[in-house]
Amino acid sequence: MGSDLIEIGINTAKLLVIFLMMVQIVPLLVWVERRGSAFIQNRFGPNRVGPLGLTQLLADAVKFLFKEEFVPDKNRRFLFYAAPVVALIPGALAFAAIPLSIPIEIDIMGKSYKFLFQGYEVGIGIVFVLGVSSLGAYALLMAGYGSNNKYSMFGALRASAQMISYELALGLSLVGILLVFNTFDFQQIIDSQLTNFVFMGTETALPNWGILYQPLGFILFVVAVFAETNRLPFDLPEAESELVAGYHTEYGGIKMNMFYIGEYGHMLVASALIVTFYFGGYDPIFWTPGELVATYGNVMAALLLHVVFLTKVGLFLWIFIWVRWTLPRFRYDQLMDLGWKTMLPWALANTIITAVVAFWLRA
Amino acid sequence: MSVEVALFYGLSFLIIYFGLGVLMNPNPIKAAFNLVLTMVGVAGVFFHLQAGFLGGVQLAVYAGAVMVLFVMVLMLFDLEKERDAFSEGFLGNALKLISVGLVVSLVINSVLLSSDLQSAKGPGATVVKDAEITKKLADLIFTEYIFAFEILGVLLLLVAIGAVAISRIKGGTHANS
Repeated sequence: MGSDLIEIGINTAKLLVIFLMMVQIVPLLVWVERRGSAFIQNRFGPNRVGPLGLTQLLADAVKFLFKEEFVPDKNRRFLFYAAPVVALIPGALAFAAIPLSIPIEIDIMGKSYKFLFQGYEVGIGIVFVLGVSSLGAYALLMAGYGSNNKYSMFGALRASAQMISYELALGLSLVGILLVFNTFDFQQIIDSQLTNFVFMGTETALPNWGILYQPLGFILFVVAVFAETNRLPFDLPEAESELVAGYHTEYGGIKMNMFYIGEYGHMLVASALIVTFYFGGYDPIFWTPGELVATYGNVMAALLLHVVFLTKVGLFLWIFIWVRWTLPRFRYDQLMDLGWKTMLPWALANTIITAVVAFWLRA
Repeated sequence: MSVEVALFYGLSFLIIYFGLGVLMNPNPIKAAFNLVLTMVGVAGVFFHLQAGFLGGVQLAVYAGAVMVLFVMVLMLFDLEKERDAFSEGFLGNALKLISVGLVVSLVINSVLLSSDLQSAKGPGATVVKDAEITKKLADLIFTEYIFAFEILGVLLLLVAIGAVAISRIKGGTHANS
């Protein structure tokens, strides 16, 4: 954690702030989702409460907190209450491991400190995030089994089948990235994307981003994370036309809200991962972080780069919402076919081709 | 007692507690949840021992794979009937305890007998970065232990084929026994 009280204190505060970042982005995303869906469907959306309907969020939050607590009679008590809390864990753990900007080096009371712009540094970032996010489905299973309700159970079963099917493609599509950047570490992956793309020995104006090396891997990864986050077109676990609301049928008020926070947290992690692997992380295209530090100083540059990172993440969050309101839900057999018969072979092919090319180039 | 030691003992206690839960719980679903928590605890110990790669793999592969167990349990078992089968009175429990004791003593003895391990630990051991450990692991698996690695692969294939074969003999998932 740190060598003295100041360092430990700031690092702890950092963890809290990053968790709150994940929680606080949810009302904003709900607003964007509602306004965005209205925009896509030629409606107005919430526009009465406050400017642009923004304070609707506050009203919703108050409503969630003060709603009467409803608990089904024959639930499995512990699982039922634990599920919404467990839903928050994977997203928070994974998000804290992603570097959000360059480290800040400052002097406090004559001693120089270096603070990373992330919750904690894990040397094997990719494996850690994959491992943690594979736990996400347990919250849904606990909710489904704990509710003691057939619709919830079906939702939970669908969720677990879907997760198992797409986790393979998700992991395999990342092997290409591992081979290209030759590291597990997020920081090193971002660092090697900060230069310009070199094509046939000539330096081009394009940034050296992962998507230029792994276009197929990018498509596979995006599809797989859509499936992992249970968003449309992959939201069979909560298909409301068939299963009422799937695994969270029996939940209301703040407990259901926690499932929402978990889902949007997953989206946030997914977008942050896409940006980190394929779009240079906090790479500000036209400058290098070193130049920004020289011009504006370390703290200002770190904040600027953080804004760059958040802008890119926001773009992908918008794509998540955009897709949700554009594509219809898959049928169950289509979902399984896509996962096992399309994504998996393509991901394998991508891995093999990348491995051969990487071996040939480095030999 | 330093923080590290406290963490280690805390994690170990949790692992043993949940491990016992796997065995003692008459409900297969709750046993499976306990198994997940055991796996997460083991991953925590790996992270604590600076073996990040193993910890991550432990989470992704083992903790993630228990999900398959869940689906199997939920789809194939009649939970009410299995409850009796899982808690079969004195003889069954005694057998369970004996087999667990045998496995545990095997593990403990194998650790105690391998003197290399004991000499390797100690204050002199240097902390290596995760990436290097991963590279070393890969080197070992694909050079020195390549035969064992491949044999393991064949073994897993055998298990998969065997499982399919057995389920086919008994009429697959549509058996009405």
